[in-house]
Amino acid sequence: MNLISIITSADDATRNQSLDAFARQASVAQLLEARTRLDTFRRSAENLYERVRALFFLANIHRYHLPAKLLAAASATSGESDGAAPVLIPFHGFEQLLGRRFEEAIDTFLADQQEHGPSDGLSSALAAAYHRLAFQTLADQVRRSVRTVRGNQWMFRMGHPADQPLRIRPELLQRSADGTFPILREQTPVRMDLTHSAWSDIFFLGMDFPEGAKVINISVDLGVHGRDAAPRPPVSAWLRVIDEPVLRLTSVDLGATADISALSDVFDFAKDYLGLLKAAVIASGIIPPGIEGSGHSLAELLANIVGPGRGLEIVSSVNDIPKGSRLAVSTNLLGSLISVCMRATGQTSGGIGQPGETLPGLIGALSEPDRRLVLARALLGEWLGGSGGGWQDSGGVWPGIKLITGVPSAEGDPEFGISRGRLMPVHHVFSREEIPESARQALMDSLVVVHGGMAQNVGPILEMVTEKYLLRSEAEWLGRQDALSVLDEVISALKRSDIRALGAATTRNFRQPIQAIIPWASTYFTEQLIAKCEREFGGDFWGFWMLGGMSGGGMGFIFAPHRKLEAQDRLREIMLETKHELSASLPFAMDPVVFDYAINEHGTYADLLSGDDALMPAGYYALTLPRLIRTNRAELPATRRTELDKFGAAARTRPELRGMVQTLFDVLLPRGKSGKADGATLQELLEQNGFDRTQHEQIRTDLKEGRIGLAQNRLRADTQIEDVKAGDVTDFTLPAIRTQVTRQGEAALRNGELAIVTLAAGAGSRWTGGAGTCKALHPYAKLGGHHRTFIETHLAKSRQASRVFGATIPHIFTTSYLTQGPTAEFLARMGNYGYEGPLHLSPGKSVGLRMIPTVRDLRFQWEEMPQQVLDVQQQKVRESLRAALMNWAHAAGETGDYTDNIPLQCLHPVGHFYELPNLLRNGVLAQLLAERPQLRWLLLHNIDTLGAGADAELLGQHILSGACLTFEMITRRLEDRGGGLARVNGRPRLVEGLAMPREEDEFRLSYYNSMTTWIDLDQLLAAMGLTRDDVRLAGASSAADHQEKITAAIRALAAKLPTYITVKDVKKRWGHGQEDVFPVAQFEKLWGDLTALPEINTQFVVVPRLRGQQLKDQAQLDGWLRDGSAAYVEGLCEWE
Amino acid sequence: MNLKKAVITAAGKNQRTLPLQSLVDRDGSTKTALAIILEEALAAGIEEIGLVIHPGDQAAFAVAAGSHASRLTFLEQSEPLGYGHAVGCARAFTGSSPFLLLVGDHLYVSTEARGCARQLVETANAENAAVSAVQATHESKLPYYGAIGGRRVAGRERLYEITDVLEKPTPTTAEQHLIIPGLRAGHYLCFFGMHVLTPVVMEVLAELLAASGGKSVHLSTALAKLAKKERYLAAELGGRRYDIGAKYGLLTAQLALGLAGKDRDEVLTGIVELLAHR
Repeated sequence: MNLISIITSADDATRNQSLDAFARQASVAQLLEARTRLDTFRRSAENLYERVRALFFLANIHRYHLPAKLLAAASATSGESDGAAPVLIPFHGFEQLLGRRFEEAIDTFLADQQEHGPSDGLSSALAAAYHRLAFQTLADQVRRSVRTVRGNQWMFRMGHPADQPLRIRPELLQRSADGTFPILREQTPVRMDLTHSAWSDIFFLGMDFPEGAKVINISVDLGVHGRDAAPRPPVSAWLRVIDEPVLRLTSVDLGATADISALSDVFDFAKDYLGLLKAAVIASGIIPPGIEGSGHSLAELLANIVGPGRGLEIVSSVNDIPKGSRLAVSTNLLGSLISVCMRATGQTSGGIGQPGETLPGLIGALSEPDRRLVLARALLGEWLGGSGGGWQDSGGVWPGIKLITGVPSAEGDPEFGISRGRLMPVHHVFSREEIPESARQALMDSLVVVHGGMAQNVGPILEMVTEKYLLRSEAEWLGRQDALSVLDEVISALKRSDIRALGAATTRNFRQPIQAIIPWASTYFTEQLIAKCEREFGGDFWGFWMLGGMSGGGMGFIFAPHRKLEAQDRLREIMLETKHELSASLPFAMDPVVFDYAINEHGTYADLLSGDDALMPAGYYALTLPRLIRTNRAELPATRRTELDKFGAAARTRPELRGMVQTLFDVLLPRGKSGKADGATLQELLEQNGFDRTQHEQIRTDLKEGRIGLAQNRLRADTQIEDVKAGDVTDFTLPAIRTQVTRQGEAALRNGELAIVTLAAGAGSRWTGGAGTCKALHPYAKLGGHHRTFIETHLAKSRQASRVFGATIPHIFTTSYLTQGPTAEFLARMGNYGYEGPLHLSPGKSVGLRMIPTVRDLRFQWEEMPQQVLDVQQQKVRESLRAALMNWAHAAGETGDYTDNIPLQCLHPVGHFYELPNLLRNGVLAQLLAERPQLRWLLLHNIDTLGAGADAELLGQHILSGACLTFEMITRRLEDRGGGLARVNGRPRLVEGLAMPREEDEFRLSYYNSMTTWIDLDQLLAAMGLTRDDVRLAGASSAADHQEKITAAIRALAAKLPTYITVKDVKKRWGHGQEDVFPVAQFEKLWGDLTALPEINTQFVVVPRLRGQQLKDQAQLDGWLRDGSAAYVEGLCEWE
Repeated sequence: MNLKKAVITAAGKNQRTLPLQSLVDRDGSTKTALAIILEEALAAGIEEIGLVIHPGDQAAFAVAAGSHASRLTFLEQSEPLGYGHAVGCARAFTGSSPFLLLVGDHLYVSTEARGCARQLVETANAENAAVSAVQATHESKLPYYGAIGGRRVAGRERLYEITDVLEKPTPTTAEQHLIIPGLRAGHYLCFFGMHVLTPVVMEVLAELLAASGGKSVHLSTALAKLAKKERYLAAELGGRRYDIGAKYGLLTAQLALGLAGKDRDEVLTGIVELLAHR
């Protein structure tokens, strides 16, 4: 089979073949030859999609196929490793990768591969480079297409205020009798995707396979059940002329308002919460993108549009609909804002060729050409704002129920000859004849739409889908065909008003194609909700319907109509109760809500408010009035004074403004906050968890005065960092017959001499982006048919080992202030997952209080450390955000205590060094020794090292070596950052990434630390000057002197280790599902630094990657499933 | 097509005094702007001219027309209801004849031996169709003009068949509907203020006025309909238009006339002297 013909063939059957089928039967040599031909092909391919498919093929060969084949070939040729160090990844190539110089990085890596031969590490680097180049190529194409849409092009040419061709519509300049300008109000529904399109609405996919890009999309009005009286268009945008030469932007829901007077501030997206409004102003052509960076005057530009001395005010509101509803609230808000701006500047025609109508294009619904233009502009706006929705997301701009489909590109299209499909889809709005009123009503009578409350990042999922589709991987490709047949079923059921059949179809969609393509689309939370609905409603629960990128946020549940009302109330209770059970395991941004909704048959719609009606939404006044009231009335512009009077009169008479007096009172005189977490204040939590105030103040002083900090974490610049030599490590990566070693380990296991310590104190900042849940309790993947938590997986491995060796293995999970309570409660609820052996939690005995970082450290982290440069626009947004965060750190007070969050988010664990000593202080080790005096060895590992377990061979090696500590290493891949094994001034030891004197030093190291450590308990105690008796006595009595001895021993050991300052991300939740991420400073002491102490005898072994790799990021999950890691772990497990 | 009639509009709120301004024409003699426009029309073979004015302005315009006053028929626009209405006021005057339409506040300087109006009239005669003069205009000037969309007439230079007419389009609309191959990026064909129109336009205007309910009517609306009813062309002329109503418009027009005429050296010397002293 020829890979290039798969890519280029005009024949569907050939083109839709997968890479896997070829790679399965190919040898290493064949794979290498195929990859060379592909690389040559993609360099000369002119067709974008051929190029991109070739890139994805190359990325996959290097990510999945080549490493597995290399390993198999090595195993077959030699039983023992030849002791040669693995091939290193060139740092220069890594730098090129970070700088988005992908082509150059590929050439650098290939040159190395040519010289040294293929290796696992180089292959990982090439995989990353090809993968990113593929997505960059796709993103560039979408950007080009967005710019070349007719109607968008001129905005990129316009660079001078005098050239601004837009003028405000005269109707908006006609003052009322009271002197105020009218307000143009746009009200827009949101969209629901009735079929779940199997993600076919991703632009890249619509452009690759337009025939497969199909969705049914419904415009709906929305209300929160129990809060709002009736559903209404949830999104609104308001615009008026003002008598000041500024752009006044206000987001009612985000509580942000700003008077912008400089052009550069309009392009500064992350400076405040007004990024979406700014993107709309730019994408609508009022401040065209072409004028960015020109240095011209905003007032001059506005003068050309609205007249000298005047400006524009734009207000957005989403009626407090929570974020993450999967109803495309923000894209439709963008559409609404763009629409109102375009109407105001005469860019909507209300239909070409019909001038002379009453206010054509200004008010009412939009014509189809106008809607398409709003869509094109919304795409532009999303790109500007660095976000990106699917092409169906602006669906709320259209009315009712519609079928949106991809379109093959044809001659005359900017995409023709470049991609198979057009950027923009077509919308067919179903008529009443096609989908009768009765079907619409029946749908509303059965479907309950909810927001489950989970906070999710669907970005990685969208990347996974894109890659899988373009690869035409077999299972996913079949899934996609299946999803298309579901769409036909849904349309047919709708036309027949058969909602039960519709429910069956959407459920099948979720169960089969969607999860065949992306198993991560389902969550444990979702599964629980579905199971509970099935239990409670039996045959009256007609089906589940997934919305958006993944489940857990916005979702639909379909019930028999006679039980819908009951289901709405019950579902809210069920969701709340399930959320409560899982709140420590999964990140929830808010309490779940149930929505009321109605199909909106207008699409986006505008009206003109003038005279007494010319008032902004009520929330606008709650936000702006306090400031206006404090201002001297005489200093306010006349129109402002009139508006205040008008609002005062309205608040007294209009029923919808009845609550305003109370609202304003609350805003002016805020209630005090209690600041408690589960009943405990921050102060109480600090006291309960062994917070050391003296040490904290010392760290603050040192940090403030520059004695410690990110730059000071590094070893001295003259430190010699070299890779280890052949004799420094023992290689266990390849199977070999080591009978004596294995027997030694087996005997120890049979004798019950080993206990496993799993580190589960951390929140897993990278896992949930700083959400503060317990990673150990996260049901991260389905293994053996069910969602499994990290804890369950580790216990299942220990269970299997216990059964094999006929002796139960004690298992300890270390915890912290954050994880102790939830873990204990969770394990109790799960009955310890039926684990037969002793199971202990080891609560943390020390905690730190986070600090506001110094600007110096933020600069170091963001400006001096090598960083992954993002795509142009995203990079701009990131820089703007970072500037804002540095301002925050400065204004909030560098090194001040970080207390502006819920108490649990203000604390931090003080590093994994303390986890083992904690066993001594909290009595867990004493208890274990009492139960099992023969205990001699501990295996310590991270919660995310899923392959680590009681391996007899490695234990035997540790015992026979006589070492105090044996660290398990793995060969380095590109993603393994954060230090490694090095000879430091001639002595092998572990060096943390943050202690590397120079970034490139890390790339000279062959091995990465898996953190998994075999420990000789007696030797470690001896190194601390302790004996088993000390431990036993301290555990048995509360005598202060025994405790004191232990504490002093720990302190003495800790004093020999460096204290690192780190900057971590922490989430702050506010409003309705909004989340902000702040950088905070904290300190830690790390376990690996024990290897630097000469009194501790340490050795290093190299283990297979599958055993030593860590699962740090949810985006790794898919690769973990595909590359055999999941199967490896499952093979070690015995489930309950 | 045998063109003998012309209509000149001068009734607009800001137009009423502009044709009365005096300028020095290419031949070195001082004339009113109105006289220059009338001569442009007469040079194109026009014999009768209908002048649409605001009620009460007749005497002043008669004086300003000088020796050409006898060719004029004064037509009063009683209400300011838009350019379309102004043109419609000449319906009885034009009757069943085609006519040349000019605006009272624009002057034209031809780059050929033939005047601009003459070029246009000859094109209309040759093609036997309504023709509007157009000029490639940068999109930043779109708020000031009507613009056309269309295609080139095969085998003819600078002649287009019009499909769309839009009054003061936004660049957004222009880019979607008015792009004509061969023009520079961001340029559209905008009206030059000079048209040769057929009686059908008057019919269409009458319909539009009847349906307008007292609201303004744009000529562009009528021209858009014309394009759907009969062959309607646009011609790029060899010449430039000068809007004497714009800021410094009169000055620019005067300089253009001066530099294109017999006093060119004198005018240039004046400019150079001016520059040397500033």
